[in-house]
Amino acid sequence: MKLSNSFQTALVGLKTNKTRSFLTILGIVIGISSVILMMSLGDGAQGLILKQIMSMGPNNVYVEPGSFDLEGADMTQAMMEGMDIKTLTLDDMDAIEKDPLVESVAPMVLNVARVVYKNNDKKVTVFGTSPAYAEITGGRTILGSNFNDFDVQSMAKVAVLGYKINEDFFQNENPIGKTIRIKDVNFKVIGVMEEQGSQMFLNVDDYVYIPITTVQKFLLGINHIQSSAVKIVSQDKIDEAMESIRLILRERHNIYNPEGDLSKDDFKVVSAKESADMMNIVTGILTMLLSSVAAIALLVGGIGIMNIMLVSVVERTREIGLRKAVGARKKDILYQFLIEAIVLTGLGGIIGILLGIVFAYLAAIVLSMALGTQWSFVVSLKSIVLAFGVAAGIGIVFGIYPARKAAELSPIEALRYE
Amino acid sequence: MLFEIENLKKIYGNNSVKTPALQGVSFKISSGEFVSIMGPSGSGKSTLMHIMCFLDRPTYGQCKFEDKSIDDFNDDELARVRNKKMGFVFQSYNLLSRTNVFDNVKLPLIYTGFSKEKENELVEQALKSVGIFHRAFHFPNQLSGGEQQKTAIARAIVNHPSVIFADEPTGNLDSKSGQQIMDIFQKLNDQGHTIILVTHEKYTAEMAKRIISLKDGKILSDELVSLRHYAKDGLIK
Repeated sequence: MKLSNSFQTALVGLKTNKTRSFLTILGIVIGISSVILMMSLGDGAQGLILKQIMSMGPNNVYVEPGSFDLEGADMTQAMMEGMDIKTLTLDDMDAIEKDPLVESVAPMVLNVARVVYKNNDKKVTVFGTSPAYAEITGGRTILGSNFNDFDVQSMAKVAVLGYKINEDFFQNENPIGKTIRIKDVNFKVIGVMEEQGSQMFLNVDDYVYIPITTVQKFLLGINHIQSSAVKIVSQDKIDEAMESIRLILRERHNIYNPEGDLSKDDFKVVSAKESADMMNIVTGILTMLLSSVAAIALLVGGIGIMNIMLVSVVERTREIGLRKAVGARKKDILYQFLIEAIVLTGLGGIIGILLGIVFAYLAAIVLSMALGTQWSFVVSLKSIVLAFGVAAGIGIVFGIYPARKAAELSPIEALRYE
Repeated sequence: MLFEIENLKKIYGNNSVKTPALQGVSFKISSGEFVSIMGPSGSGKSTLMHIMCFLDRPTYGQCKFEDKSIDDFNDDELARVRNKKMGFVFQSYNLLSRTNVFDNVKLPLIYTGFSKEKENELVEQALKSVGIFHRAFHFPNQLSGGEQQKTAIARAIVNHPSVIFADEPTGNLDSKSGQQIMDIFQKLNDQGHTIILVTHEKYTAEMAKRIISLKDGKILSDELVSLRHYAKDGLIK
């Protein structure tokens, strides 16, 4: 018998049992569509994280207080240490900026403070930095202007408002030249930033930007900085620049560390790419976990197929006997039932893939709305090929046993079967 | 010689309980014969037929079909012989219930490997020769028993086999339909088909040219029919 005939015979077999075929397929459809959905969500999360981390520029490295210790990686410990260490200063930043591989340096200090304007008051993140920050992130003012290097040197009491802060406090009023109060200190508003969305998962539109020296002196009373973004001249120089920055800081902090053991430093230098990679590991594990749950659904679907095929073999015992009597070889019967199983799973696979794509698309829309950020809808070819391969594989694995059972039936007994 | 059967024995069961179904049966059938195998139930006639059509193996003895025994073939070759040289008609028709008459008759051909055109041509021929062509696209449950059995006969002859096995073909039919079926068999025999009919009804058996009677796995008698009945006559009455 030709293979096309086996195929046709199998299709007729399935068509005569429409409801049963549909219910059998359902298990596979659910399994495959959840695999597609989970993988799409994983890819979407990865894309989002990558975009967020890269949003401040792929050429950036971050210099932060606290050592880089992967082995004793206790998150709270690292955070406490980061807050506790006061050795990283603006002078360090000036020294880093002199390195020829470094284009610009934006030191950062964050503080939450009550901001008051007229009858309005609100708790706001106050962000102390230098003009280089806007340069590095590409943020522009839509009203007035940003503060300049002179404002930083002179500890000027000026403020640039994030897009949303301006809307909250000033609605239709022109904020430029108005005075707001932060922690009982008066600041003059000199600019408003454009809408930027979230960067590094922080909603920078809710920030008030103030020269870093002003925050250090008048709001916090400190001399150290909490973090800094360093822009490197080009992407292929990042590793070199990171090493160079480490050497500069070790010398300035009197750290003897010739073997370059990162846990001995009192600072850490991390590239945007490195943090993206680290996050990718986390999302990768998450995707795998979710997908394995979906894979279990798929397995259950496969067992369902085997179950139905076994019932079908028993039910069609006489048919099998007849086919054997009129000249079907074992192979012909085997193919007929195997192809039936594969067509079932293949059909389930196709429907599952389509449904999974639709679900993933809807999920992307819902997540974009819920998170207030663009959740990208990704369905990789890899996941489709994988899902379809798994579906066909399940057809073969769970179809072979019933098919063999059918092929091995003795025609005499099969014909006698009532 | 079409069939040469020599000292055929078939014993069912395992070592402890042995049930002999055939206890040394010998006869020959040549091409163009119409033979009835007769006997009460348990006489071994079905077993004999199964061995003759290569669905079962004898415990002892030889069964040669066209000078070859079952041992000369592997399973695939046996399937091929059954497909091309043998036709089967069963008591309970054994039609595929959700498949129409045309496709039911075509069933053996899908294992033969003809072109679509050739398949359709053969099916049409077979349907016409048993007079059921007008029902080609009906389903078995829309047909009378006689029509179902005609379909089964069409299926048996579609590949122009050298021998047709019929196992109690009239057993489930009323006498008039039974006569019609037997008439078809007699006509097929006139056209040169060898027919081996298994039955326990004396009257039906006597429509053949020769009767082999079995009892308890042995041949009781093997003789030509002296007063052959013609189904055609029954139909006129």
